[in-house]
Amino acid sequence: MTQKVRSILIIDDDTDILLALKTSLELNNFKVFTAENTKDGLKIFDAEKPDAVATDLMMEEMDSGFTLTYHIKKTEHGKKIPVILMTSAASVTGFKFDAYTAEEREWLKCDALLNKPISVEDLIQRIDLYYEEKNT
Amino acid sequence: MNSLEPKRVIVIDDEEALRHAVKRILEIEGFIVKVAVNGTEGIKLATEEDYDLAIIDLKMPDINGIDVLKEIRKSKPNTICYIATAFASYDSAIESTKLGADGYILKPFTPEELISQLYKGIEKRNILLETERLRKEREESLLEVAFERTRLKTIINSLKDGVVVINIHGEAVYFNTAALMLMNLEYLPLGIPVVEHFPNEIASLLNSHFLNGENQENTFSAEINRNGEGKLFIEATLSPIKQQNNTLAGVAVILRNITEYKRLELAKSQFVSMVAHELKAPIAATIGFLEILNNPEMKIDDAQRFDFQTRSHSRLKSLLSMVNDLLDISRLEMNKSIREIRELPLNEIISEALLLCQADIKKKNLKVKTNYSPHGITVKADLHEVSRLFLNLINNAVKYNKDGGSISVTAEEKNQFTVVKVSDTGIGLKPEEQAKLFVEYFRAKNEYTKQIHGTGLGLSIVKRIIESYDGKIEFKSIYGEGTEFILYFPAVVIGG
Repeated sequence: MTQKVRSILIIDDDTDILLALKTSLELNNFKVFTAENTKDGLKIFDAEKPDAVATDLMMEEMDSGFTLTYHIKKTEHGKKIPVILMTSAASVTGFKFDAYTAEEREWLKCDALLNKPISVEDLIQRIDLYYEEKNT
Repeated sequence: MNSLEPKRVIVIDDEEALRHAVKRILEIEGFIVKVAVNGTEGIKLATEEDYDLAIIDLKMPDINGIDVLKEIRKSKPNTICYIATAFASYDSAIESTKLGADGYILKPFTPEELISQLYKGIEKRNILLETERLRKEREESLLEVAFERTRLKTIINSLKDGVVVINIHGEAVYFNTAALMLMNLEYLPLGIPVVEHFPNEIASLLNSHFLNGENQENTFSAEINRNGEGKLFIEATLSPIKQQNNTLAGVAVILRNITEYKRLELAKSQFVSMVAHELKAPIAATIGFLEILNNPEMKIDDAQRFDFQTRSHSRLKSLLSMVNDLLDISRLEMNKSIREIRELPLNEIISEALLLCQADIKKKNLKVKTNYSPHGITVKADLHEVSRLFLNLINNAVKYNKDGGSISVTAEEKNQFTVVKVSDTGIGLKPEEQAKLFVEYFRAKNEYTKQIHGTGLGLSIVKRIIESYDGKIEFKSIYGEGTEFILYFPAVVIGG
């Protein structure tokens, strides 16, 4: 794990989840930006250019996380950083999606997908993995 | 006709002595005997009633015996007729049998001769009657078969399910109108291969039945697009029709329209996925906090620790109330029989609900106004359900109210209804939010509601309860100003 302070933007409409994640990530040496909706999220993304983005899937609209990911991945900066979807829907809808293979990531337009409740270690591991793969 | 029954004989003769002699002989033998004095009377009597046997004198002054015989034959073909004649007219006697008599009796005759002739006649009559019975029976059963066929056809044709019978060559042998409708076909020609007319999924299964001689019953569902009329979900059951030697003779296809089930299934799975999502949110938040609280490496101060504990506590409380709401919903759906319908004093129930919300009412400094009609209004309902209903409504009125606002509850009896109004000076609803108000898990999301936790099930429970009593709920709302709910309880509970 690199010891350099990294920045992350997390977007979730549940303020408690946001607070818990923010606290944990900060204690893991992250600089954390938070947003409660996609609109604010995109604004902060453009302004702060974080090293990673983790967003909830179902917010104002069922697929607002997908929409946000799509907009981020369209930008120059978005292509260089991991965008991670967090969801509690996947396991119950019966339609199994994950983002381990390149194909799945291409289809979901994100770099990883984590099921809620999120473990902060998992989240950090996914970010590390993204940068490791990128450097090799 | 029962052979043990006494036989009925009519004797038509103008000669009185002979008439009486015959009558006596036959009565001793156990016959029932009627006499006629001439041809005219003979015809009248013999055609009015049914006789087993008739003895007709050939020579009578009014009508001759042959003509009498002809008349009787017309209406009573099964009456055995004898022509009685003197030896002198033997030729006429022969002639009479040609004309339809069953035999002749030569005069003079001995009682034995007469009786033995008559017994032969009775045998003949029995055969005639039996033949007629069989003929009638066959006619009736043919009618019955024909009737049965039309009846079966009518039944199958009026079924909502589609029925198609296909033979081993893939030709339609039988189908009903529902089958055409369900497969979106205009017609189906009989006697030529029709499998390719069927929707693909059904066609391929039919083919597999014929090609592989598959002998198993098979049920599957297919989606069928009807031109301009939307999609239909069809369940097809293919049952092999076997011959006596167990080879496949054809396939009976039953088609059922399961579109409505599919719609319910989808609604249910959407509901389940919403429930899971809503239940997981407080768990995720609490686990997030607990992981920090339990990890000694995570250095947080006391204020943060307290904040996280408080938040976790509140999320778990909301999780509990969501589970309770869900249990209430399933209880409402599953079982109405455990209801105990009683006359309930509304003012007590409302006061109790207000008392339960007292802490929040004080915190927000809300003014509460109640106005019940003086004689005390009651509703006939289950206590648990009505308490739940008012608690949900008043809790909403408190939760979504502004600090220093007010709540008003009024009740009155009006045209067979008890009308209760619960209004608040809260945040109100935007017009686009109003349509979704009673939808499960719908919670208005705007700058006011962000800090308010709720399950999104409360109002849908209220609606289910009041509607289960054949009542209704209405509301008026102005965004930023407040909402008024109007409940109508029917005075007479139907099916409670």
